Amino acid sequence: MQDTIAKEITVKASAQRVYEAITDPTQIIKWFPDAVEGDLAAGQKATFTFEGHGKSSIYTIAATPFNYFAYRWIPGGAVAVDDVLKESNTLVEFFIEERDGKTNVTVKESGFALLPVEMAEKAFAQNSGGWDYMLERLEKFAS
Amino acid sequence: MTADELFRALGDPTRLEIVRRLSNRESCTISMLLSGLGISRQGARKHLQLLADANIVTLKPDGRDTIVSLNRATLAKGKAFITEIELQWDKRLEALRQYVDNDQINDL
Repeated sequence: MQDTIAKEITVKASAQRVYEAITDPTQIIKWFPDAVEGDLAAGQKATFTFEGHGKSSIYTIAATPFNYFAYRWIPGGAVAVDDVLKESNTLVEFFIEERDGKTNVTVKESGFALLPVEMAEKAFAQNSGGWDYMLERLEKFAS
Repeated sequence: MTADELFRALGDPTRLEIVRRLSNRESCTISMLLSGLGISRQGARKHLQLLADANIVTLKPDGRDTIVSLNRATLAKGKAFITEIELQWDKRLEALRQYVDNDQINDL
């Protein structure tokens, strides 16, 4: 069953460089949300703004220089709430590992199993994920 | 129904096989569905009920047998959601790569 998404990328930069690109509000807006309000420190609430989509509430779980950053949010589109932890949320984790002058970044988002299907339906009603593709990947649900 | 139920319902080899068999046809009777599956009718009932509770299949009584049909929309919903989020992370990581790589070049 698929509860987790994991994606990985290798960049030509140091772990510190990558960590700061993710956790520094003035840098994260260069590649992820268009604006950040609040602090991306452990235990702090923040808001990501995605132009044309709205705001997403963020609750930072951990920020450990220069290898780990984790937050909770409500996936599938912009949802701003007072307390993310009281809603159906997912955990997003960044694992940063420097090796031989390059840095490996893995992002993991988990907790999809507990989300209401209505949320998925609402956010992705327009998605045209094909049935053939679906069947092809069915086996993976079992692992 | 929650996505949990959907994914849990699919997280079993027998139920996955039932879904795979159903995917080739519109609907069929329980008897047809179970031939060669190697489980008892009673065992199959439990699996089918679970799939029905998660809205993955619909069970319709037909005389002494039951017609089983697949609700493709339910399956597609769960998958489309995950696929879309995967695509979003691909794009974001690529943007991160461009940001930190470009920046490094600028620093030189």
